Amino acid sequence: MPKEIHIDPKTFKVRSALNAPPIPIHAYDENIEAERARYGDEGLLQILRDMMIIREFETILASLKAKGAYCGIEFNYKGPAHLSIGQEAAAVGAAASLEPHDHIFGSHRSHGEFIAKGLSAIRKLPDDAMRLIMESHERGALLRTVETSLQGPKGIETAENFLLLGLLAEIFMRSTGFNRGMGGSMHAFFPPFGTYPNNAIVGASAGIATGAALRKKLAGASGITVANAGDGSTGCGPVWEAMNFAAMAQFDTLWADAFKGGLPVLFFFNNNFYAMGGQTIGETMGWDRLSRIGLAVNQQAIHAETVDGTNPLAVADAVARKRELLVQGRGPALLDVECYRSSGHSTTDINSYRTKDEMQAWEQHDPIILFSNRLQEAGIVTAGQVAELREQTTDRMRSITAIAVDPALTPPVDIHADPTLIGKLMFSNTNIELPSQEVSLLKPVDAVSRVRQDAKKSRYGFAEDGAKLSPMRAITLRDALFETVLHHMTHDDSLVAYGEECREWGGAFGVYRGLAEILPHDRLFNSPISEAAIVATAVGFALEGGRALVELMYGDFLGRAGDEVFNQMAKWQSMSGGQLKVPVVLRCSIGSKYGAQHSQDWTALCAHIPGLKVVYPATPYDAKGLLASALSGNDPVVFFESQRLYDTVEQFRNEGVPTGYYQLPIGEPDCKRAGEDVTILTVGPSLYSALAAAEELESTFGISAEVIDARSLVPFNYEPVLASIRKTGRIVLVSEASERGSFLMTLAANITRFGYETLHAAPRVIGSPNWIVPGAEMESTYFPQKDDILDVITSELFPGQRSNRRSIRDWDDRELARLGL
Amino acid sequence: MDTPILMPNLGNEIDEAQIDEWFKTEGDMVTEGEQIVLITTPKVTMEIEAPATGILKKILVPADELAAVGTTLGIIET
Repeated sequence: MPKEIHIDPKTFKVRSALNAPPIPIHAYDENIEAERARYGDEGLLQILRDMMIIREFETILASLKAKGAYCGIEFNYKGPAHLSIGQEAAAVGAAASLEPHDHIFGSHRSHGEFIAKGLSAIRKLPDDAMRLIMESHERGALLRTVETSLQGPKGIETAENFLLLGLLAEIFMRSTGFNRGMGGSMHAFFPPFGTYPNNAIVGASAGIATGAALRKKLAGASGITVANAGDGSTGCGPVWEAMNFAAMAQFDTLWADAFKGGLPVLFFFNNNFYAMGGQTIGETMGWDRLSRIGLAVNQQAIHAETVDGTNPLAVADAVARKRELLVQGRGPALLDVECYRSSGHSTTDINSYRTKDEMQAWEQHDPIILFSNRLQEAGIVTAGQVAELREQTTDRMRSITAIAVDPALTPPVDIHADPTLIGKLMFSNTNIELPSQEVSLLKPVDAVSRVRQDAKKSRYGFAEDGAKLSPMRAITLRDALFETVLHHMTHDDSLVAYGEECREWGGAFGVYRGLAEILPHDRLFNSPISEAAIVATAVGFALEGGRALVELMYGDFLGRAGDEVFNQMAKWQSMSGGQLKVPVVLRCSIGSKYGAQHSQDWTALCAHIPGLKVVYPATPYDAKGLLASALSGNDPVVFFESQRLYDTVEQFRNEGVPTGYYQLPIGEPDCKRAGEDVTILTVGPSLYSALAAAEELESTFGISAEVIDARSLVPFNYEPVLASIRKTGRIVLVSEASERGSFLMTLAANITRFGYETLHAAPRVIGSPNWIVPGAEMESTYFPQKDDILDVITSELFPGQRSNRRSIRDWDDRELARLGL
Repeated sequence: MDTPILMPNLGNEIDEAQIDEWFKTEGDMVTEGEQIVLITTPKVTMEIEAPATGILKKILVPADELAAVGTTLGIIET
């Protein structure tokens, strides 16, 4: 694939200056008569009413936290309450200009956005669609409670009560809540109304909303996505990564006409001037007005504007204009919506970081008072009607609260009845059927030179005379991965693949080499060096209905995507109460020869976090089949690959690696060598050291070793291993991860417990020492070698052998532990 | 004088690579630095440049064949 963008030195040597577009501040020109014509008086009243509903809803929580009661209803609410009192105009104004199929992703302070978007969607959705949504949630349980326990007119009011009770029940983490009680205050959402995950990690929605926007673009879906975040999130790297990802030039320069233009995502910053207690303007950030950051992203300054967030009409106007740009393919866009949080960050906040004077000055700008005065001045409503509206809202909230706190009407999640209830939500264990039809490609698969080359290779790694074949002559683990990726990419057009260097380079290690010849940019593209955005966008892409295959060039870069892997990719399935699926496969190669920051096995980190399937194959046959299972499953998978094994040919399966497509189940260890005296359980490339050790144990010591390749860490079926130790009575576990906290320690502890009666000796873990991975020439002193395994088995498990130690690992593990090693 | 076109050393663990395509045929003029043959290793596809200016006198390893590192792939007569 030829390079398409020429970097001409002449262009870059010309003296010039960069120009930037002006950033509008308060561009909205209020004209109440025009707004009356636009919304109607009823519509304007609706806006006031929605703000009051949000205010009173949050007052419930404030009151429960402060006094243990609201309007005489006592309840000990134990969860968090990050309130947005004072910021209601931002939420309601935005929602007024959004459609039900526009999807908002929020923050830990998103009750207001949730309610505003929900109320807006309820008014815009057809009645029958609304009814179906309510009847589908928890098989109608919440709807029945609303209909039987809340008096009042039916229709829209029922739907509104459904929204408010569903949210309050979720905040109380009750079973009828929108996330079945698995989300709570900071994570409540309800996709049918276009409210997608609210995120307790500051700024985390930026990348997820960006990925969802990518999916909308590729699926040809209408609508936009909105990343709601606070001003404090502009200090978070992943937010910048997301804005850049959404604005990548390649959408215009390289992508096909149908997909041109930046992503339809609106970065909506609820700028309340405080990042919890630190002040963004003047203290913790460099910008003077938040919208200035748009200048750093692209030539259009991502259409950034500062908006008066105390005026819902100003916000609605800005969102409507930005939305128009986004649907035209001119995204992304940014709004700096200045508003003031009059409540504390949380209910324990004593406002030590701001003055009374400042708070009093902003009281005059309370959005509800301002808007109510505006409507009264225009003769749309009277002071008496406003008071009446307020009273009605309080009455309604009192009724809803009474139902939400009543365990008979809003039942708690009954963990006692099903102790593994939450566990069952971690994985869906479902998968898709791959269509047999090929998707349209730039050219036929057979025209790819790699495909033709691989077709000539032997499927098995040994020649007839027993000689091992070179990686140019037999299918390697790299080729095996390629074959599965090729099959999925050419049969599933909901699957997109990206990462650093994925296209022309074929991935840094050539796994994708050749794919760029047949796949257009909208299926396979180079991402920026933005590990956080790579994973977060993949999660958003999946939440929006797509499937993503992304890679971090080295497993060591997981740290750069820590939140995205450990909090986002891992948790949204369960935090949605099982309603969402996250079909993301994250490939991570584990390096070799590159020293401390490019060679560490971090599988244990991923295995430790609930919600991730973790796979680490060591043979071409296993790699091909396990990647196929990962790509067809609907659960998030971290798929580790060893760079040392990419050129490995198939050495175990005489029939070789099948040419056709097949799947191998994730979670099943596989016996690679049968034996009688000792079991060696390996993870990743340690398989080959173990096999070498097994051969020598047999020939030199007459010890017969059975070698089992774990292949997966999560899930893990212990049975094949326990069956093996029932025979051998001894087990050594080997991997290249540092021993402290290694997943092998978990396996060893459980094997001890499950197989205690059959063991002649305690399971012995051999990993890498608890220091940095050294350079290439020292690696054999670090990663477990054949001799390290032999030493342990002959000296510790079979001391009668009296063999001389061969390896350098003649150290005292207890003394090293005492030294922190 | 004959100048050999050699299969370069392509990394620590790569012993051989495949000739994908000769961009020139025997008898063609070639210029030093000009891309003359496309090869593939297990990991990458890359072009090899002509080591001298002259006539491509002989192609010793044709397309689709494997050659070990250091093999003479062809000869340029200068």
